[in-house]
Amino acid sequence: MKKRDNTILRKAVMAVVIGAFPLTSMAGGSDYDVLQDQVKVLQQQLERVQKALKEIETKSASKQDMETAKSEFREEISNAMTPNTLVHLAGYANVGYDSEAGKDGSFNAIQFSPILHYQYKDIFMLEAELEFKAEADGETEVEMEYMSIDWFMNDYSILVAGKFLSPIGTFRQNLHPSWINKMADAPPGFGHDGAAPTSDVGLQVRGGFGEKVRSNYAVYVANGPELNAASEDGEFELEGIMAEGFSTDVDGEKTIGGRYGIIPMAGLEIGLSAATGKAAVTNIVDEDAGTSMSVLGNSRSYDVFGADFSWQRKALDFRGEYIQTKIGEDLTGPGASEGADWKTWYLQAAYMIPSVSLEPVLRYTDFDSPHASEDVKQWSAGLNYHFSNHLIAKLNYQSNDVNKGSRIPENKWLVQLAYGF
Amino acid sequence: MKKQMTNIYRVMTLSVLLGAGSGFFQTAVAAEWPVKGDFVKGAQLWVENCNRCHSYRDPQELRDDQWITTIYHMRIRAGFTGQQARDLVTFMQKSNK
Ligand code: HEC
Repeated sequence: MKKRDNTILRKAVMAVVIGAFPLTSMAGGSDYDVLQDQVKVLQQQLERVQKALKEIETKSASKQDMETAKSEFREEISNAMTPNTLVHLAGYANVGYDSEAGKDGSFNAIQFSPILHYQYKDIFMLEAELEFKAEADGETEVEMEYMSIDWFMNDYSILVAGKFLSPIGTFRQNLHPSWINKMADAPPGFGHDGAAPTSDVGLQVRGGFGEKVRSNYAVYVANGPELNAASEDGEFELEGIMAEGFSTDVDGEKTIGGRYGIIPMAGLEIGLSAATGKAAVTNIVDEDAGTSMSVLGNSRSYDVFGADFSWQRKALDFRGEYIQTKIGEDLTGPGASEGADWKTWYLQAAYMIPSVSLEPVLRYTDFDSPHASEDVKQWSAGLNYHFSNHLIAKLNYQSNDVNKGSRIPENKWLVQLAYGF
Repeated sequence: MKKQMTNIYRVMTLSVLLGAGSGFFQTAVAAEWPVKGDFVKGAQLWVENCNRCHSYRDPQELRDDQWITTIYHMRIRAGFTGQQARDLVTFMQKSNK
Protein backbone atom coordinates (compact mmCIF):
# COMPACT_ATOMS: atom_id res chain seq x y z
CA MET A 1 0.00 0.00 0.00
CA LYS A 2 2.75 2.39 1.00
CA LYS A 3 4.80 1.54 -2.08
CA ARG A 4 1.91 2.34 -4.37
CA ASP A 5 1.49 5.76 -2.74
CA ASN A 6 5.13 6.45 -3.33
CA THR A 7 4.96 5.73 -7.06
CA ILE A 8 1.95 7.94 -7.51
CA LEU A 9 3.71 10.77 -5.72
CA ARG A 10 6.82 10.40 -7.88
CA LYS A 11 4.83 10.50 -11.12
CA ALA A 12 3.06 13.64 -9.99
CA VAL A 13 6.31 15.47 -9.21
CA MET A 14 7.75 14.47 -12.56
CA ALA A 15 4.72 15.78 -14.44
CA VAL A 16 5.07 19.15 -12.74
CA VAL A 17 8.80 19.40 -13.53
CA ILE A 18 8.38 18.46 -17.18
CA GLY A 19 5.47 20.79 -17.53
CA ALA A 20 7.44 23.63 -16.01
CA PHE A 21 10.19 23.53 -18.65
CA PRO A 22 8.38 24.58 -21.79
CA LEU A 23 6.93 27.31 -19.70
CA THR A 24 10.30 28.69 -18.71
CA SER A 25 11.69 28.40 -22.20
CA MET A 26 8.81 30.27 -23.60
CA ALA A 27 9.01 32.75 -20.80
CA GLY A 28 11.75 34.86 -22.52
CA GLY A 29 12.66 34.81 -26.29
CA SER A 30 16.38 35.44 -25.67
CA ASP A 31 16.78 32.43 -23.34
CA TYR A 32 15.17 30.29 -25.97
CA ASP A 33 17.56 31.53 -28.65
CA VAL A 34 20.54 30.84 -26.44
CA LEU A 35 19.35 27.33 -25.83
CA GLN A 36 18.70 26.79 -29.51
CA ASP A 37 22.24 27.94 -30.31
CA GLN A 38 23.61 25.61 -27.68
CA VAL A 39 21.68 22.72 -29.13
CA LYS A 40 23.02 23.55 -32.57
CA VAL A 41 26.58 23.59 -31.28
CA LEU A 42 26.00 20.32 -29.49
CA GLN A 43 24.51 18.83 -32.64
CA GLN A 44 27.55 19.88 -34.64
CA GLN A 45 29.85 18.42 -32.02
CA LEU A 46 27.90 15.18 -32.03
CA GLU A 47 28.16 14.99 -35.82
CA ARG A 48 31.89 15.50 -35.62
CA VAL A 49 32.25 12.82 -32.97
CA GLN A 50 30.13 10.43 -35.05
CA LYS A 51 32.25 11.15 -38.12
CA ALA A 52 35.46 10.52 -36.19
CA LEU A 53 34.03 7.30 -34.82
CA LYS A 54 33.12 6.16 -38.32
CA GLU A 55 36.65 6.93 -39.51
CA ILE A 56 38.13 4.91 -36.68
CA GLU A 57 35.74 2.08 -37.50
CA THR A 58 36.67 2.04 -41.17
CA LYS A 59 40.35 2.19 -40.25
CA SER A 60 40.26 -0.78 -37.87
CA ALA A 61 38.10 -2.65 -40.34
CA SER A 62 41.13 -2.84 -42.66
CA LYS A 63 43.25 -4.77 -40.16
CA GLN A 64 44.49 -6.73 -43.12
CA ASP A 65 45.99 -3.53 -44.55
CA MET A 66 47.84 -3.11 -41.27
CA GLU A 67 49.16 -6.67 -41.48
CA THR A 68 50.26 -6.14 -45.07
CA ALA A 69 52.04 -2.95 -44.11
CA LYS A 70 53.68 -4.74 -41.21
CA SER A 71 54.94 -7.63 -43.31
CA GLU A 72 56.15 -5.22 -46.01
CA PHE A 73 58.04 -3.37 -43.31
CA ARG A 74 59.55 -6.61 -42.03
CA GLU A 75 60.62 -7.57 -45.51
CA GLU A 76 62.27 -4.18 -45.91
CA ILE A 77 64.22 -4.73 -42.69
CA SER A 78 65.05 -8.30 -43.68
CA ASN A 79 66.37 -7.10 -47.06
CA ALA A 80 68.31 -4.31 -45.41
CA MET A 81 69.93 -6.92 -43.17
CA THR A 82 70.86 -9.11 -46.10
CA PRO A 83 73.89 -7.57 -47.74
CA ASN A 84 75.72 -9.51 -50.45
CA THR A 85 78.12 -10.93 -47.87
CA LEU A 86 76.67 -12.66 -44.83
CA VAL A 87 78.65 -13.66 -41.76
CA HIS A 88 77.42 -16.19 -39.21
CA LEU A 89 79.03 -17.81 -36.20
CA ALA A 90 77.64 -21.24 -35.39
CA GLY A 91 79.16 -24.32 -33.77
CA TYR A 92 78.99 -26.45 -30.67
CA ALA A 93 80.61 -27.08 -27.32
CA ASN A 94 80.56 -29.77 -24.68
CA VAL A 95 81.75 -30.58 -21.20
CA GLY A 96 81.81 -34.02 -19.64
CA TYR A 97 82.74 -36.47 -16.93
CA ASP A 98 83.56 -40.15 -17.22
CA SER A 99 84.36 -43.01 -14.95
CA GLU A 100 85.89 -46.31 -16.11
CA ALA A 101 85.77 -49.61 -14.29
CA GLY A 102 88.74 -49.76 -11.89
CA LYS A 103 89.71 -46.08 -12.28
CA ASP A 104 88.85 -42.78 -10.68
CA GLY A 105 86.50 -40.63 -12.73
CA SER A 106 87.56 -37.34 -14.30
CA PHE A 107 85.99 -34.25 -15.72
CA ASN A 108 86.87 -34.23 -19.39
CA ALA A 109 85.56 -33.89 -22.94
CA ILE A 110 85.99 -30.13 -22.80
CA GLN A 111 85.57 -29.07 -26.38
CA PHE A 112 84.69 -25.83 -28.14
CA SER A 113 84.11 -25.97 -31.90
CA PRO A 114 83.16 -22.67 -33.50
CA ILE A 115 81.98 -22.77 -37.12
CA LEU A 116 82.36 -19.69 -39.28
CA HIS A 117 80.19 -19.10 -42.31
CA TYR A 118 80.93 -16.40 -44.83
CA GLN A 119 78.49 -16.38 -47.69
CA TYR A 120 78.63 -14.31 -50.88
CA LYS A 121 75.07 -14.20 -52.26
CA ASP A 122 73.99 -17.69 -53.30
CA ILE A 123 77.22 -18.21 -55.18
CA PHE A 124 79.96 -18.90 -52.62
CA MET A 125 80.22 -20.05 -49.05
CA LEU A 126 83.26 -20.43 -46.88
CA GLU A 127 82.70 -22.89 -44.04
CA ALA A 128 85.34 -23.48 -41.40
CA GLU A 129 85.24 -25.38 -38.14
CA LEU A 130 87.98 -25.15 -35.54
CA GLU A 131 88.19 -27.60 -32.72
CA PHE A 132 89.64 -26.57 -29.35
CA LYS A 133 90.10 -29.44 -26.91
CA ALA A 134 91.44 -29.47 -23.37
CA GLU A 135 93.97 -32.32 -23.22
CA ALA A 136 94.84 -34.59 -20.32
CA ASP A 137 98.28 -32.90 -19.97
CA GLY A 138 96.77 -29.46 -19.53
CA GLU A 139 97.54 -28.33 -23.06
CA THR A 140 94.90 -27.12 -25.49
CA GLU A 141 94.80 -28.89 -28.81
CA VAL A 142 93.60 -26.93 -31.83
CA GLU A 143 92.57 -28.62 -35.03
CA MET A 144 91.01 -27.48 -38.23
CA GLU A 145 88.09 -29.88 -38.54
CA TYR A 146 87.27 -28.56 -41.96
CA MET A 147 87.77 -25.45 -44.07
CA SER A 148 86.41 -25.30 -47.56
CA ILE A 149 85.33 -22.76 -50.11
CA ASP A 150 82.12 -23.98 -51.65
CA TRP A 151 80.85 -22.82 -55.03
CA PHE A 152 77.13 -23.22 -55.69
CA MET A 153 77.66 -23.96 -59.38
CA ASN A 154 73.96 -24.45 -60.06
CA ASP A 155 70.84 -25.75 -58.35
CA TYR A 156 72.07 -29.33 -58.39
CA SER A 157 75.80 -29.26 -57.72
CA ILE A 158 78.23 -27.58 -55.38
CA LEU A 159 82.01 -27.69 -55.73
CA VAL A 160 83.67 -28.04 -52.31
CA ALA A 161 87.40 -27.27 -52.30
CA GLY A 162 89.67 -27.58 -49.27
CA LYS A 163 89.63 -29.79 -46.21
CA PHE A 164 86.29 -31.49 -45.73
CA LEU A 165 84.70 -34.11 -43.51
CA SER A 166 84.85 -37.44 -45.30
CA PRO A 167 81.67 -37.94 -47.33
CA ILE A 168 81.98 -41.70 -46.71
CA GLY A 169 79.10 -42.87 -44.53
CA THR A 170 77.11 -40.53 -42.30
CA PHE A 171 78.56 -40.56 -38.80
CA ARG A 172 81.54 -38.32 -39.54
CA GLN A 173 79.84 -35.82 -41.80
CA ASN A 174 76.39 -35.66 -40.21
CA LEU A 175 76.32 -37.02 -36.68
CA HIS A 176 79.59 -36.39 -34.84
CA PRO A 177 78.86 -32.90 -33.35
CA SER A 178 78.03 -33.47 -29.70
CA TRP A 179 74.61 -31.80 -29.83
CA ILE A 180 73.67 -34.16 -32.70
CA ASN A 181 75.27 -37.40 -31.49
CA LYS A 182 72.75 -39.01 -29.17
CA MET A 183 75.55 -40.76 -27.29
CA ALA A 184 78.41 -39.10 -25.41
CA ASP A 185 81.06 -40.64 -27.68
CA ALA A 186 81.56 -41.96 -31.21
CA PRO A 187 80.84 -45.61 -31.91
CA PRO A 188 84.10 -47.65 -31.86
CA GLY A 189 85.75 -47.63 -35.31
CA PHE A 190 84.48 -44.15 -36.21
CA GLY A 191 87.25 -42.29 -34.43
CA HIS A 192 90.95 -41.94 -35.13
CA ASP A 193 92.74 -45.09 -36.34
CA GLY A 194 89.32 -46.60 -36.97
CA ALA A 195 87.59 -48.20 -39.92
CA ALA A 196 85.97 -45.02 -41.21
CA PRO A 197 87.95 -42.12 -42.72
CA THR A 198 87.45 -38.84 -40.88
CA SER A 199 88.55 -36.03 -43.24
CA ASP A 200 90.31 -35.45 -46.50
CA VAL A 201 91.90 -32.65 -48.47
CA GLY A 202 90.89 -32.23 -52.09
CA LEU A 203 87.93 -31.47 -54.29
CA GLN A 204 84.37 -32.62 -53.89
CA VAL A 205 81.23 -32.18 -55.96
CA ARG A 206 77.99 -32.70 -54.08
CA GLY A 207 74.34 -31.87 -54.35
CA GLY A 208 70.92 -33.35 -54.83
CA PHE A 209 68.08 -33.82 -57.27
CA GLY A 210 64.50 -35.07 -57.44
CA GLU A 211 61.35 -33.91 -55.70
CA LYS A 212 59.19 -36.85 -54.66
CA VAL A 213 61.98 -39.40 -54.47
CA ARG A 214 65.02 -37.36 -53.59
CA SER A 215 68.67 -38.23 -54.06
CA ASN A 216 71.85 -36.72 -52.74
CA TYR A 217 75.38 -37.43 -53.86
CA ALA A 218 79.01 -36.59 -53.18
CA VAL A 219 82.05 -37.52 -55.28
CA TYR A 220 85.58 -36.53 -54.38
CA VAL A 221 89.24 -36.74 -55.28
CA ALA A 222 91.67 -36.19 -52.42
CA ASN A 223 95.16 -36.78 -51.06
CA GLY A 224 93.96 -39.80 -49.16
CA PRO A 225 95.30 -41.46 -46.01
CA GLU A 226 98.71 -42.53 -44.71
CA LEU A 227 99.52 -45.69 -42.81
CA ASN A 228 101.09 -46.41 -39.47
CA ALA A 229 103.13 -49.61 -39.06
CA ALA A 230 104.50 -51.19 -35.92
CA SER A 231 107.63 -53.25 -35.58
CA GLU A 232 107.86 -56.07 -33.14
CA ASP A 233 110.73 -58.56 -33.06
CA GLY A 234 111.92 -57.41 -36.46
CA GLU A 235 108.50 -58.00 -38.07
CA PHE A 236 106.14 -55.28 -39.20
CA GLU A 237 102.40 -55.07 -39.05
CA LEU A 238 99.90 -52.41 -40.04
CA GLU A 239 98.96 -50.44 -36.97
CA GLY A 240 96.37 -47.98 -38.18
CA ILE A 241 95.07 -45.81 -40.98
CA MET A 242 95.57 -42.10 -40.55
CA ALA A 243 92.71 -40.54 -42.48
CA GLU A 244 92.47 -37.12 -40.85
CA GLY A 245 93.07 -35.11 -43.99
CA PHE A 246 96.70 -34.63 -45.05
CA SER A 247 97.65 -31.55 -46.97
CA THR A 248 100.35 -33.46 -48.79
CA ASP A 249 100.14 -36.60 -50.82
CA VAL A 250 103.40 -38.39 -50.11
CA ASP A 251 102.57 -41.44 -52.21
CA GLY A 252 101.48 -39.30 -55.16
CA GLU A 253 98.35 -41.40 -55.56
CA LYS A 254 94.97 -39.74 -55.21
CA THR A 255 91.98 -41.35 -53.58
CA ILE A 256 88.61 -41.07 -55.28
CA GLY A 257 85.29 -41.92 -53.72
CA GLY A 258 81.80 -40.81 -52.87
CA ARG A 259 78.40 -41.53 -51.46
CA TYR A 260 74.94 -41.81 -53.00
CA GLY A 261 71.92 -41.38 -50.75
CA ILE A 262 68.30 -41.94 -51.67
CA ILE A 263 65.21 -40.81 -49.79
CA PRO A 264 62.46 -43.01 -51.22
CA MET A 265 59.91 -41.54 -48.79
CA ALA A 266 59.88 -38.96 -46.02
CA GLY A 267 61.69 -40.26 -42.96
CA LEU A 268 63.86 -42.87 -44.68
CA GLU A 269 67.33 -42.51 -46.19
CA ILE A 270 69.56 -45.25 -47.55
CA GLY A 271 73.16 -44.57 -48.53
CA LEU A 272 76.03 -46.39 -50.16
CA SER A 273 79.64 -45.19 -50.08
CA ALA A 274 82.90 -46.30 -51.61
CA ALA A 275 86.44 -45.01 -52.04
CA THR A 276 89.49 -46.40 -53.70
CA GLY A 277 93.09 -45.33 -54.06
CA LYS A 278 96.54 -46.04 -52.75
CA ALA A 279 98.18 -45.54 -49.39
CA ALA A 280 101.69 -46.02 -48.06
CA VAL A 281 103.28 -46.56 -44.68
CA THR A 282 104.77 -43.24 -43.56
CA ASN A 283 105.45 -43.98 -39.94
CA ILE A 284 106.89 -46.96 -38.09
CA VAL A 285 106.47 -47.27 -34.36
CA ASP A 286 108.95 -49.45 -32.51
CA GLU A 287 106.84 -50.73 -29.67
CA ASP A 288 109.76 -52.14 -27.64
CA ALA A 289 111.88 -48.99 -27.83
CA GLY A 290 108.86 -46.66 -27.73
CA THR A 291 110.19 -44.64 -30.69
CA SER A 292 108.77 -43.80 -34.09
CA MET A 293 110.43 -43.18 -37.43
CA SER A 294 109.28 -41.53 -40.66
CA VAL A 295 109.58 -43.73 -43.77
CA LEU A 296 107.96 -44.07 -47.16
CA GLY A 297 106.74 -47.52 -48.01
CA ASN A 298 105.48 -48.75 -51.36
CA SER A 299 101.93 -47.92 -52.43
CA ARG A 300 99.32 -50.35 -51.20
CA SER A 301 95.73 -50.63 -52.34
CA TYR A 302 93.20 -48.72 -50.24
CA ASP A 303 89.51 -49.63 -50.55
CA VAL A 304 86.59 -48.45 -48.48
CA PHE A 305 82.99 -49.58 -48.62
CA GLY A 306 80.09 -48.32 -46.56
CA ALA A 307 76.32 -48.63 -46.24
CA ASP A 308 74.01 -46.61 -44.00
CA PHE A 309 70.35 -45.99 -43.32
CA SER A 310 68.27 -43.72 -41.10
CA TRP A 311 64.61 -44.00 -40.34
CA GLN A 312 62.39 -41.59 -38.40
CA ARG A 313 58.83 -42.33 -37.46
CA LYS A 314 57.04 -40.13 -34.95
CA ALA A 315 59.23 -40.08 -31.84
CA LEU A 316 61.50 -42.92 -32.97
CA ASP A 317 64.90 -42.38 -34.56
CA PHE A 318 66.52 -45.57 -35.82
CA ARG A 319 69.79 -45.67 -37.75
CA GLY A 320 72.75 -47.82 -38.57
CA GLU A 321 75.92 -47.90 -40.56
CA TYR A 322 78.55 -50.35 -41.77
CA ILE A 323 82.06 -49.37 -42.92
CA GLN A 324 85.05 -51.46 -43.92
CA THR A 325 88.52 -50.44 -45.02
CA LYS A 326 90.89 -52.88 -46.73
CA ILE A 327 94.61 -52.19 -47.06
CA GLY A 328 96.64 -54.30 -49.48
CA GLU A 329 100.05 -55.84 -48.90
CA ASP A 330 103.52 -54.40 -49.52
CA LEU A 331 106.11 -57.11 -49.27
CA THR A 332 109.25 -55.18 -50.15
CA GLY A 333 109.25 -51.55 -48.96
CA PRO A 334 109.94 -50.10 -45.51
CA GLY A 335 107.36 -51.44 -43.06
CA ALA A 336 106.58 -54.30 -45.46
CA SER A 337 103.72 -56.47 -44.27
CA GLU A 338 100.58 -58.31 -45.19
CA GLY A 339 97.41 -56.39 -45.88
CA ALA A 340 94.76 -55.82 -43.23
CA ASP A 341 91.03 -55.12 -42.80
CA TRP A 342 89.13 -52.84 -40.45
CA LYS A 343 85.36 -53.24 -40.10
CA THR A 344 82.77 -51.63 -37.92
CA TRP A 345 79.01 -51.35 -37.74
CA TYR A 346 76.44 -49.98 -35.34
CA LEU A 347 72.69 -49.84 -34.85
CA GLN A 348 71.13 -47.11 -32.73
CA ALA A 349 67.57 -46.50 -31.59
CA ALA A 350 66.37 -43.40 -29.76
CA TYR A 351 62.88 -42.58 -28.56
CA MET A 352 61.88 -39.06 -27.58
CA ILE A 353 59.25 -38.64 -24.88
CA PRO A 354 58.28 -34.98 -25.44
CA SER A 355 56.09 -34.61 -22.33
CA VAL A 356 59.16 -35.00 -20.10
CA SER A 357 61.88 -34.04 -22.67
CA LEU A 358 63.60 -37.35 -22.03
CA GLU A 359 65.15 -39.53 -24.70
CA PRO A 360 66.31 -43.08 -23.96
CA VAL A 361 68.92 -44.35 -26.47
CA LEU A 362 70.43 -47.77 -27.14
CA ARG A 363 73.42 -48.46 -29.41
CA TYR A 364 75.25 -51.63 -30.34
CA THR A 365 78.63 -51.50 -32.12
CA ASP A 366 80.94 -54.26 -33.34
CA PHE A 367 84.44 -53.04 -34.26
CA ASP A 368 86.81 -55.55 -35.79
CA SER A 369 90.42 -54.49 -36.44
CA PRO A 370 93.56 -56.49 -37.31
CA HIS A 371 94.55 -56.15 -33.65
CA ALA A 372 92.72 -58.32 -31.18
CA SER A 373 93.51 -55.77 -28.45
CA GLU A 374 91.43 -53.11 -30.22
CA ASP A 375 88.42 -55.23 -31.09
CA VAL A 376 85.29 -54.49 -29.15
CA LYS A 377 81.63 -55.38 -29.07
CA GLN A 378 79.91 -52.58 -27.25
CA TRP A 379 76.47 -52.05 -25.76
CA SER A 380 75.77 -48.46 -24.87
CA ALA A 381 72.63 -47.30 -23.08
CA GLY A 382 71.81 -43.66 -22.57
CA LEU A 383 69.26 -41.24 -21.23
CA ASN A 384 69.22 -37.71 -22.65
CA TYR A 385 67.45 -34.68 -21.24
CA HIS A 386 66.64 -32.01 -23.84
CA PHE A 387 66.63 -28.52 -22.32
CA SER A 388 65.92 -27.61 -25.91
CA ASN A 389 66.67 -29.37 -29.19
CA HIS A 390 70.23 -28.05 -29.19
CA LEU A 391 71.03 -28.15 -25.48
CA ILE A 392 71.26 -31.71 -24.25
CA ALA A 393 72.41 -33.46 -21.08
CA LYS A 394 73.48 -37.09 -21.60
CA LEU A 395 74.04 -39.97 -19.23
CA ASN A 396 75.57 -43.13 -20.78
CA TYR A 397 76.53 -46.55 -19.55
CA GLN A 398 78.80 -48.68 -21.76
CA SER A 399 79.52 -52.34 -21.50
CA ASN A 400 82.47 -53.57 -23.59
CA ASP A 401 83.12 -57.14 -24.60
CA VAL A 402 86.89 -57.16 -25.30
CA ASN A 403 89.73 -59.62 -25.80
CA LYS A 404 92.33 -60.40 -23.15
CA GLY A 405 95.00 -57.72 -22.84
CA SER A 406 92.76 -54.98 -24.23
CA ARG A 407 93.15 -51.47 -22.87
CA ILE A 408 89.44 -50.78 -23.38
CA PRO A 409 87.63 -50.77 -20.00
CA GLU A 410 84.97 -53.39 -19.37
CA ASN A 411 82.46 -50.74 -18.57
CA LYS A 412 82.26 -46.99 -18.39
CA TRP A 413 79.89 -44.22 -17.28
CA LEU A 414 79.82 -40.99 -19.24
CA VAL A 415 78.05 -37.72 -18.50
CA GLN A 416 77.98 -34.89 -21.02
CA LEU A 417 76.39 -31.52 -21.54
CA ALA A 418 76.29 -30.51 -25.20
CA TYR A 419 75.35 -27.14 -26.66
CA GLY A 420 74.87 -26.50 -30.40
CA PHE A 421 74.70 -22.83 -31.31
CA MET B 1 101.60 -38.48 -61.82
CA LYS B 2 99.67 -39.69 -64.83
CA LYS B 3 97.21 -41.48 -62.58
CA GLN B 4 96.91 -38.40 -60.43
CA MET B 5 95.91 -36.26 -63.36
CA THR B 6 93.46 -38.89 -64.52
CA ASN B 7 91.73 -38.70 -61.15
CA ILE B 8 91.47 -34.94 -61.31
CA TYR B 9 90.20 -35.05 -64.87
CA ARG B 10 87.62 -37.60 -63.82
CA VAL B 11 86.19 -35.40 -61.10
CA MET B 12 86.34 -32.31 -63.27
CA THR B 13 84.55 -34.08 -66.09
CA LEU B 14 81.94 -35.34 -63.69
CA SER B 15 81.31 -31.91 -62.24
CA VAL B 16 81.11 -30.32 -65.66
CA LEU B 17 78.69 -33.00 -66.82
CA LEU B 18 76.56 -32.59 -63.72
CA GLY B 19 76.74 -28.86 -64.19
CA ALA B 20 76.07 -28.80 -67.90
CA GLY B 21 73.04 -31.03 -67.48
CA SER B 22 71.45 -28.53 -65.19
CA GLY B 23 72.38 -25.08 -66.49
CA PHE B 24 75.88 -24.49 -65.28
CA PHE B 25 75.95 -20.75 -64.85
CA GLN B 26 72.44 -20.46 -63.57
CA THR B 27 73.22 -18.98 -60.18
CA ALA B 28 76.39 -17.26 -61.23
CA VAL B 29 74.34 -14.81 -63.25
CA ALA B 30 71.31 -14.60 -60.97
CA ALA B 31 70.99 -10.89 -60.22
CA GLU B 32 68.18 -10.99 -57.71
CA TRP B 33 69.36 -11.41 -54.14
CA PRO B 34 68.07 -12.62 -51.78
CA VAL B 35 65.89 -14.87 -53.95
CA LYS B 36 62.45 -15.72 -52.62
CA GLY B 37 61.00 -19.21 -52.60
CA ASP B 38 57.69 -20.94 -51.91
CA PHE B 39 56.55 -20.85 -48.27
CA VAL B 40 54.26 -23.90 -48.43
CA LYS B 41 56.84 -26.09 -50.15
CA GLY B 42 59.42 -24.86 -47.63
CA ALA B 43 57.15 -25.85 -44.74
CA GLN B 44 56.74 -29.35 -46.12
CA LEU B 45 60.47 -29.72 -46.74
CA TRP B 46 61.14 -28.61 -43.16
CA VAL B 47 58.76 -31.16 -41.65
CA GLU B 48 60.03 -34.00 -43.80
CA ASN B 49 63.77 -33.37 -43.62
CA CYS B 50 64.99 -31.24 -40.78
CA ASN B 51 64.92 -34.03 -38.18
CA ARG B 52 66.82 -36.60 -40.25
CA CYS B 53 70.29 -35.92 -38.87
CA HIS B 54 69.46 -33.91 -35.75
CA SER B 55 66.38 -32.75 -33.85
CA TYR B 56 64.32 -29.96 -35.43
CA ARG B 57 65.75 -26.51 -34.83
CA ASP B 58 63.18 -23.87 -33.89
CA PRO B 59 62.70 -21.18 -36.60
CA GLN B 60 62.60 -18.65 -33.72
CA GLU B 61 66.23 -19.38 -32.91
CA LEU B 62 67.76 -17.33 -35.71
CA ARG B 63 67.35 -14.04 -37.55
CA ASP B 64 66.44 -13.86 -41.25
CA ASP B 65 70.04 -13.38 -42.40
CA GLN B 66 71.27 -16.21 -40.15
CA TRP B 67 68.71 -18.57 -41.63
CA ILE B 68 70.18 -17.93 -45.08
CA THR B 69 73.69 -19.05 -44.10
CA THR B 70 72.30 -21.95 -42.06
CA ILE B 71 70.04 -23.25 -44.82
CA TYR B 72 72.84 -22.96 -47.41
CA HIS B 73 75.09 -24.86 -44.99
CA MET B 74 72.37 -27.52 -44.74
CA ARG B 75 72.00 -27.48 -48.52
CA ILE B 76 75.62 -28.63 -48.73
CA ARG B 77 75.21 -31.21 -45.95
CA ALA B 78 71.86 -32.69 -46.88
CA GLY B 79 71.90 -32.29 -50.67
CA PHE B 80 68.92 -29.96 -51.05
CA THR B 81 68.57 -28.44 -54.52
CA GLY B 82 68.89 -24.68 -54.95
CA GLN B 83 65.11 -24.32 -55.29
CA GLN B 84 64.52 -26.36 -52.13
CA ALA B 85 67.01 -24.14 -50.29
CA ARG B 86 65.14 -21.00 -51.44
CA ASP B 87 61.81 -22.51 -50.33
CA LEU B 88 63.31 -23.43 -46.97
CA VAL B 89 64.80 -19.95 -46.42
CA THR B 90 61.41 -18.38 -47.15
CA PHE B 91 59.70 -20.72 -44.71
CA MET B 92 62.25 -20.17 -41.92
CA GLN B 93 62.19 -16.38 -42.40
CA LYS B 94 58.40 -16.20 -42.28
CA SER B 95 58.24 -18.42 -39.21
CA ASN B 96 60.77 -16.71 -36.99
CA LYS B 97 58.57 -13.91 -35.63
C1 HEC C 1 72.14 -34.56 -43.78
C2 HEC C 1 72.00 -34.27 -42.40
C3 HEC C 1 71.29 -32.98 -42.02
C4 HEC C 1 70.04 -32.57 -42.40
C5 HEC C 1 69.03 -33.31 -43.27
C6 HEC C 1 69.85 -31.27 -41.77
N1 HEC C 1 70.94 -30.93 -41.03
FE1 HEC C 1 71.16 -29.23 -39.92
N2 HEC C 1 73.03 -29.83 -39.41
C7 HEC C 1 73.66 -31.00 -39.80
C8 HEC C 1 75.00 -31.03 -39.26
C9 HEC C 1 76.00 -32.15 -39.45
C10 HEC C 1 75.17 -29.84 -38.53
C11 HEC C 1 76.39 -29.40 -37.75
C12 HEC C 1 77.38 -28.76 -38.64
C13 HEC C 1 78.74 -28.83 -38.10
O1 HEC C 1 78.92 -28.92 -36.89
O2 HEC C 1 79.68 -28.78 -38.92
C14 HEC C 1 73.91 -29.10 -38.64
C15 HEC C 1 73.70 -27.85 -38.06
C16 HEC C 1 72.51 -27.17 -38.08
C17 HEC C 1 72.27 -25.92 -37.39
C18 HEC C 1 73.26 -25.17 -36.53
C19 HEC C 1 73.93 -24.08 -37.31
C20 HEC C 1 74.94 -24.57 -38.29
O3 HEC C 1 74.84 -24.17 -39.47
O4 HEC C 1 75.82 -25.34 -37.92
C21 HEC C 1 70.98 -25.57 -37.67
C22 HEC C 1 70.24 -24.33 -37.18
C23 HEC C 1 70.42 -26.59 -38.54
N3 HEC C 1 71.37 -27.55 -38.76
C24 HEC C 1 69.15 -26.57 -39.08
C25 HEC C 1 68.68 -27.48 -40.02
C26 HEC C 1 67.45 -27.32 -40.76
C27 HEC C 1 66.49 -26.17 -40.62
C28 HEC C 1 67.34 -28.41 -41.58
C29 HEC C 1 66.27 -28.69 -42.62
C30 HEC C 1 66.23 -27.75 -43.69
C31 HEC C 1 68.50 -29.25 -41.34
N4 HEC C 1 69.29 -28.65 -40.40
C32 HEC C 1 68.71 -30.49 -41.96
C33 HEC C 1 73.10 -31.99 -40.56
C34 HEC C 1 71.85 -31.94 -41.15
